[in-house]
Amino acid sequence: MKGGVLVRPITISFALFVVIIGGFTAANPSFLSAYNAVTILNAAIILLAVGLGQAFVILTGGIDLSVGSVMSLVSVVFMLTLEPLGGWAYPLVLVIGAAAGVLNGLIVSKLRIPSFIATLGTQGILLSLTYLLSAEPLGAPDSAGGLLNLVTGSVGPVQSVWIIGLAAFAVFYYVQRFTQVGRSIVYIGANERMSYLSGLKIDRGRIMAFALSGLGAAVAGIILAATLYSGYPALGGVYVLNSIATVVVGGTAMTGGAGGALNTLVGALIMGTINNGLTVIGVDVYAQQVFLGVLIIIAVAVTFDRQKIAVIK
Amino acid sequence: MEQAAVLELNGITKRFPGVTALQDVHLSLGAGEILGLVGENGAGKSTLMKILVGLQAPDEGEIRLKGEKVHLDGPGGAIRHGIGMVFQEGSMIPNLSVMENLFLRHEERFRRFGLLSAGAMAAEAHIELKAVGLGTLNPRTRTGELSAAEKQMVEIARLLWLSRLYGVHNPILILDEPTTVLQEQEARILFEILRRLREKASIIFISHRLEEVVMLSDRILVLRDGRRMAELGHDEAQVRGIEKLMVGHELAEEHFRETLQTEPQEEVVLAVQGLAMEGKFRNFSLQLRKGEIVSLVGLLGSGKEEVCRVLGGSEQPSAGTITVGRRGARFSSPKDAISVGIGCVPIDRRNDGLATSLDVAENINLLVLRQLVSGIFLNPRLERENAARWVRECLVKTPSLQTACANLSGGNQQKVVIAKWLAANVRVLVLDHPTRGIDVGAKDEIYRRIRELAAAGVCLLIMCDTLEEDIGLCNRMLVMKDGEVVRDIPCPRGGKPTPLDVIGYIV
Repeated sequence: MKGGVLVRPITISFALFVVIIGGFTAANPSFLSAYNAVTILNAAIILLAVGLGQAFVILTGGIDLSVGSVMSLVSVVFMLTLEPLGGWAYPLVLVIGAAAGVLNGLIVSKLRIPSFIATLGTQGILLSLTYLLSAEPLGAPDSAGGLLNLVTGSVGPVQSVWIIGLAAFAVFYYVQRFTQVGRSIVYIGANERMSYLSGLKIDRGRIMAFALSGLGAAVAGIILAATLYSGYPALGGVYVLNSIATVVVGGTAMTGGAGGALNTLVGALIMGTINNGLTVIGVDVYAQQVFLGVLIIIAVAVTFDRQKIAVIK
Repeated sequence: MEQAAVLELNGITKRFPGVTALQDVHLSLGAGEILGLVGENGAGKSTLMKILVGLQAPDEGEIRLKGEKVHLDGPGGAIRHGIGMVFQEGSMIPNLSVMENLFLRHEERFRRFGLLSAGAMAAEAHIELKAVGLGTLNPRTRTGELSAAEKQMVEIARLLWLSRLYGVHNPILILDEPTTVLQEQEARILFEILRRLREKASIIFISHRLEEVVMLSDRILVLRDGRRMAELGHDEAQVRGIEKLMVGHELAEEHFRETLQTEPQEEVVLAVQGLAMEGKFRNFSLQLRKGEIVSLVGLLGSGKEEVCRVLGGSEQPSAGTITVGRRGARFSSPKDAISVGIGCVPIDRRNDGLATSLDVAENINLLVLRQLVSGIFLNPRLERENAARWVRECLVKTPSLQTACANLSGGNQQKVVIAKWLAANVRVLVLDHPTRGIDVGAKDEIYRRIRELAAAGVCLLIMCDTLEEDIGLCNRMLVMKDGEVVRDIPCPRGGKPTPLDVIGYIV
């Protein structure tokens, strides 16, 4: 019995965040400069967008390995359609992301294939599609400058990305906390058999989780493409593992049923801070993965629900 | 048995969260003795045996072997002390030969010139097998091809061989319900061999078939509710007397809140006609009237569990009709059953009834989320109010609504499961062993809740831990045997049958 667990994983994650900031600042006071804070925030927002969706899949006890490919596909389609479609390119790629997620969800729930395998398959398929559309990096068309301003511009002192990040967080947080489907996703992850016996629509919940994951990846893909003024097949690759790290570092359990949007917000800030801080204090680029690796292991050790599974594989 | 005991258990107590499985149990076993161990399900037999083979450690009490206090740390440690368990179907690797299983992990003894000598192994295996009546069995046979009886014998042979290897005289063999998987003839042979083994081993024999226990045992220990109820010598033991000791003589009337029992109303809420499930049960009919408590009793395999699963929608019948109210109903999943007002409180509440990592409010509100919205969003105030209301009504003792269910006692977890279904306003509630593993106080509160529900017009179909509980709670009882209802026994207030009246129909 873990009768005395009163400290919730999110509290631990937040404490970790504070400690990390303190550590980096002590090592290099310029870490805390306004300029650097903005850099961290903007990097964290991309992790946030893709992590929010990933969190829903992980809440169900699954995993989505296709988010990186969705980001790449979205970036390429976005660049290809900005000129012919104009502003309609935005909703188009969001729909593509969500549709890819629905496809994942259908494969997992209807064919009953573990999400790890299902999304391993679709990530390859989507990546190939992206290469077929354009193997070369695509720059943003000259005419698209105004349209991209939606992402890269600012409203007074407030950058648009911040608003997008906040909006994405609000939507995902609300879905999880205040809608029936969001709640079913949590129930399914916490105990699928009980959920079935209680009449919840397991398949629908699972498909929704994957759809939200695709949607989050699409948002991240748009932000990244707009910031870089380009789209290319290798754009999303690193975000597969980074999104998973963001989710678990925030305290969402890989076993499902605990954690969610708020945790992912903290996770994204931590990941953004560390990525940036290691560079600022001058850690060798090749050594940075050591720190990240250790951090992820510690985070999971703290949040993992060992009660739920007898055998660790 | 005059000589010193080979095995002594003194004051063994084992507590699990919310329930005391064993309370101050004493047990002694002499050399060459066969001790019968009997008790109802949940009486503590399995826990006691798990302690003996080192799978669980007692909270209090000591284990002495030949007078010496020992600490057993797992089956491997237990066998080193000469204590071994014989499993119903054997615990051997089916793809290995009999001799390979016999000498598993000790093959180095058969090394000749650096290689394993199959001949030496087979020769020694033959001697060991002969001792347990398998002299004609080829030691090279694949173990998976053996019958259940042969597997048990091989396992006994292995335990005897191992204890000799570890230098233990008079090892202790534990047989847990060995005859359940045996034909009558095989069981007779097993008994014959067990009697012969008395020369070199002591045996603890567990069985629900009391006739066997009486016939075979030198002494019989009766457990009830984790306590040692009695110990009977071979000459004084009688099946009827043991039955009484197992169920308890006094049917404490007030124990099941019998004075609150109400008569069912006229209206038939659930009508089941000719329900069947291939190979499980057939021709099951039931009319459940408003406010009626019907108890389903029968042995494992009688089909009662499957009937409940079909009514709850988690399994599909092969024939028959279910009518709820005036409408015919077909359930392809629990969702369909729930939509017509049938709920199931499952036996395994931690895995099937609750999400233990979620809090009390989340669990209670699961079925009624739809009603707790303002517009399209869930309303936290309504959620809180609904959860608080049912926590109050069902007397759930919890520090707060945000307490994870994992941190509640078994009884309070069960109340949360019941609260969840009551919040959904069910018309029929199937209670699968509603008081399993919960303490006396919480039991009584659940009994009272069941009475109140019946009085309020909810129909209840119950399956209980003990016959006494079934009889005490229900208005009438259906006895199932081999997939069919064999008796419909009324149990009105003040006119209840005794467990002894009923048990004959069950077995």
